[in-house]
Formats: sequence, C-alpha cells, structure tokens
Amino acid sequence: MKKFNVTVNGKTYAVEVEEVGAGQGGFTYVQQAAAQAPVQQAPAPQAVQAAQPAPQAPVEKPAPKVEATSGQGTLMSAPMPGTILDILVSEGQTVKKGEIVIILEAMKMENEIAAAADGVVSKIHTSKSANVNAGDPMLTIA
Amino acid sequence: MPKDKIAELRKRYEKIKLGGGQKAIEKQHKNGKLTARERILKLLDEGSFVEIDAHVEHRCVNFGMEEKSMPGDGVVAGYGTIDGRLVYLFAQDFTVMGGSLGEMHAAKIVKAQQMALKVGAPLIGINDSGGARIQEGVDALSGYGKIFYNNTIASGVIPQISVILGPCAGGAVYSPAITDFIFMVKNISKMFITGPNVIETVTGEKVSAEELGGAMTHNSISGVAHFVDDTEEECLANIKRLLSYLPQNNLETTPVQNVQDSINRIDESLNYIVPDNPNKPYDMKDIVYTLADDGEFMEYQPYFAQNIITGFIRLKGKSVGVVASQPKVLAGCLDINASDKAARFIRTCDSFNIPLLTLMDVPGFLPGTNQEYGGIIRHGAKMLYSYSEATVPKVTVITRKAYGGSYIAMCNKELGADMVFAWPSAEIAVMGPEGAANIIFKREIADAEDQNFKRTEKIQEYRDTIANPYAAAARGYVDAVIEPSETRKRIISSFDMLTGKRELRPEKKHGNIPL
Repeated sequence: MKKFNVTVNGKTYAVEVEEVGAGQGGFTYVQQAAAQAPVQQAPAPQAVQAAQPAPQAPVEKPAPKVEATSGQGTLMSAPMPGTILDILVSEGQTVKKGEIVIILEAMKMENEIAAAADGVVSKIHTSKSANVNAGDPMLTIA
Repeated sequence: MPKDKIAELRKRYEKIKLGGGQKAIEKQHKNGKLTARERILKLLDEGSFVEIDAHVEHRCVNFGMEEKSMPGDGVVAGYGTIDGRLVYLFAQDFTVMGGSLGEMHAAKIVKAQQMALKVGAPLIGINDSGGARIQEGVDALSGYGKIFYNNTIASGVIPQISVILGPCAGGAVYSPAITDFIFMVKNISKMFITGPNVIETVTGEKVSAEELGGAMTHNSISGVAHFVDDTEEECLANIKRLLSYLPQNNLETTPVQNVQDSINRIDESLNYIVPDNPNKPYDMKDIVYTLADDGEFMEYQPYFAQNIITGFIRLKGKSVGVVASQPKVLAGCLDINASDKAARFIRTCDSFNIPLLTLMDVPGFLPGTNQEYGGIIRHGAKMLYSYSEATVPKVTVITRKAYGGSYIAMCNKELGADMVFAWPSAEIAVMGPEGAANIIFKREIADAEDQNFKRTEKIQEYRDTIANPYAAAARGYVDAVIEPSETRKRIISSFDMLTGKRELRPEKKHGNIPL
C-alpha cells in the first residue's frame, strides 16, 4: 500500500494505492496467461468485483448445459432457474445418455433433464426441492 | 483448322482438370475429403456440369508467383442442374495452393454470383480454402470484398447455400455467414475468425480446431451453421433435399411434389398427445411429423436452441416452414438463441414465398439475469418484427400455453396470422393461472381461513373463465377451436384458401430490424 497526495484545482486529496500482482490485473502477459488454467478467462480485477453490489451474479456467457471437464467426467448444470422436483438416480448408479435423471420444475413445467453422457453418476451436487439457478451444478457423470 | 489446335485445347483442359496434380489429389483423399470436381459431379445431375472460366490464371508477379501456374486459380465454377433445375455453383480446390483466394479466384466466384442473380438460379458455394493468398496482398482482400457485396445484393433474391468442406477461416467466413444456409460435415469443416494458434497466443486458451470451429460447435453452440452431416456424401444429398423445398428465386413459387398422403387424413393420436397435467412436457416434434405429408420433416438447426423447432415440411405437396415451441426443452420458453433462430428462419421463408405454420405452446420468455444482460429485449423483438413483416400465408395452431408477450411473439392474430386455430387444451392468457390468481385474488386468498384451499379454488376459477381457448375465440382472436385429430385437414384447407393472399406494405428502402 502506497500513500500519495494528489492536488486537483488547488485542493489536496490523500490517496491510497494498492499494488496488485500481474495475474490479478485485468491485463496479463501472454506467457503467464498460458501457464494458468486455460478454460478460465482472465479474471476481473479484484477491486472492481468487490465494488459490485450483486456479487452472486457474475456477468459471464450463459452457462452451457453441459460442460465437459477433463478427468472429472461430465458436469451437468441447470439449464434454467427452478426447483429440483425429483432426482431419479443415486450416486454410483450407471446411466445411459438420454435417460431422465432429474425433474426440474421451472416455468410451471416439470422439465425432464436427460443424462448428457453414458457413465456412472459420480456426484450429485443438489438435493430434492432445492432451488437452482441457471448454470448451477446438478450432477456429474464419470 | 490444324489438328494440333484442338489437341492443344484438349491438353490444356486435361491439365486444368487435374488441379494441383495427382499427388495433391491423393493427399486430399487421404484426409477423407473429395476434390472440388468430385464434389461438383456428385452434387449435380449426371452430365449436366458446364464449367466457366476454366482457363483463368492469376496475374500476380510478386514473390516468385510469376513462375507458378495454378490451374483454374484454385476454384472450379460453372452451372448445372439438380433434379433438373438450374443451379450455379463454385467449389474451391484445396489441391491448388490450399484453395487460397487471390484476385482471379475471386473474380470467378463473383462471375458465378452475378450470373446466378441474372438468371434467378440458386447459388451453391463449396468452401475449402486456407484463406487469402498472401502474395496477392490487397488484391485478395478486394476479392473478398466483392464476394461479400454480391452475396448481400443477391440475398433475398436467389437462395444461397454455403457448404463448408474444409477450412474456412478469417474474413472468408463472412461469405457463408451472409448466405441463407450453411452446411457442415463433422471432422472436415472448420470455421473461425481466429484459429486455435492465435487464440492461444493472445488469451492463453487451448482449444482444438474441431472444438473451436467444427461442425457441432457451429450447429449447437454458436448457431452459425444450419445443417450437419457425418460424411460429404450425406451432406451433398441433404443439399439436394433442401433445394426441393425452395423456389429458384423470390419471384417463383416453391416446387410442388407428388405425394400420396391424403389431405383429409385424421390422426386420433393428436387428441391424446397433450398430457392431462398442464405441467407435463411432451414432444412437439411428434405433432410436426404427424401433420406433415408422408411424415417428412427437414429440420433447420436441429441442435441449436432446441426450445424452438424450425424446419420444412410439405402439405399437399407444397413447402411449408414450421416454427414450433418445444415444451420438452427449457419448458418451450423463448430465449435469446430461440428468438434469433426463429426470426432468421421466418425471414428466410418469407424471402422465398414459403408459407409459415406456427405451433404454439409457450409459457413465456426465459427469466434470468443472463437473458436480460444478453439483450433478450432486442433479440425477442426480432420475432415480433419478422412475423409482422412476413407477407406469406401464416397459420397458427395453439396446442396449449399461450401466455403474455410470448403469445404475441409466436404469431398471434395481431401479428398477421391469417388463421389462428386453438385446440381445446389451449390456455390463452396474460399469464399462467397460478400467477394470475395470486395477483387478482390476493386479498381474498389472504383473508381466507384456509389459504391453500382458497388459492386452489381461485386458480381453478381463473382457469375456467380465462385460461381456455373460448375467451379468445369469443373475441375473434382465435378463428376456430378444433379437434386436434383434424388439424392436418384444417391447416391444408387454410393454406389452400390463402394461396392468392396479397398484402402490400408501404414503400421503403428496407425495414430496420433490431439486431
């Protein structure tokens, strides 16, 4: 933390300036960026994020329904905000792609969520009657 | 004429036909790709191809280019017939300097575009090119500019179909992007503005070419492409299928096919397809297939924004464009992508005199911050705009939900639907009964001893008085409430009746659709 006195139109202001590391800044060098996790976009500056009134609403592209994360299987996230009406599978259960695994009530509709891949349900991230937002993780198939 | 003159012509053309030579052709085959000429011959009726500009050569004298001979300058152009109907086409030849685009290469494409426009025939462009021929510098850029301009001038006059059968990168992507339809093939087609290497250098993201710009990426995530196939042969067959639904140009009507299917066919299964519980989904595609002649449906963007279904069917042998809600996906809500997909499709149909059938079961626009931030207001507006703008016959069938703004966006009476049918299961209202009852009867519910009982009672009261087809039919917003089983014959009769429809709009340069 560094302190500066800044004079504007004859009036003096005391200003504190905090130095942030290169990786946290909005601008990153190419080599450093390449070394970071490749999927994430360069993170927004910390200071700006904290200043936002609604921190739980990150302005990102609409989360795709299915994100393939290498090594951890297929993560299925909620396609729209709603309530989990029923979970038809349990952890460890084998599922086939297209099999209905979750009923998500949203827009007054009992939406049938189908398995995105063949495999074993390795983790259920939500529970019955939980509220989910679009993009929230629901379950992982490995 | 001396014999050797004819011999020379033959010799020259033989060399041109070999493109980049036998070795390059073998390499193309080894990569699982057909050559430009093979593609053209597979696409066109046998013996119908007439080549134009075969002897064109480049004029570049920079960087030793004056020494290089490039047969046809890397593109094969001409005309021929598909199912006996004229088409113009060009195919970039990857075996000739990677299909790179220079001044004369572009000039051949531009000539094909202008001829197609002059005679009113569809234009098919087969893209397989490494991009601009760098040695030719700004001449190559000038070539691209002319192609984009002519694509735009021809837009809405002749159907333009782009086929991506290889790389199509950088500025080159914008010619297909301006055209009406883009076909891609898995593991062969690649489209991107900046390739994986540039992206890695600039942002550090590692992504494969197929993930970045492959067929499924553009057919399911970006919505850039409209059709996807596993092989080139299937892709070429599907282009022929698509053309069978399209007229030659905007002044002609679509071709009429002979079909066996009865126009009076009644389908009892439609009476049971909507579940008793209004909160249960069903597959709207079943209805589309049931209504269509011979159960045939060519879906447009089947993997993108699946909450809305678009595509071509025939009714009494004539092409009809279908726009249908899909309650099975995202509850059939309209969102940004669904609006873009439907609006583009509606305008494609209207450009080419293809009547529109809308099947509506829509609970509303998708709520959420990412929708609002993404501009659902301006995207959703495209649907209202394109339906209002369309002057082709428009028939709407409301199968179940028709709520609020989305009821209007799915082509209700006021947006110019010529006939609106509702099934007895239809609920046409400002909002769903649950939400509406909670607002209208707020005080009564709050004052009741058993609030839940009162709420259920009021929801039912609302459903009975408002959320049915008869309130709308009483005001003429719905032309007829019909039994689902007789939908096919009712819509065929409507489109027959509407054949002579003529609707004039004020003169203008062009409308200003929100984009």
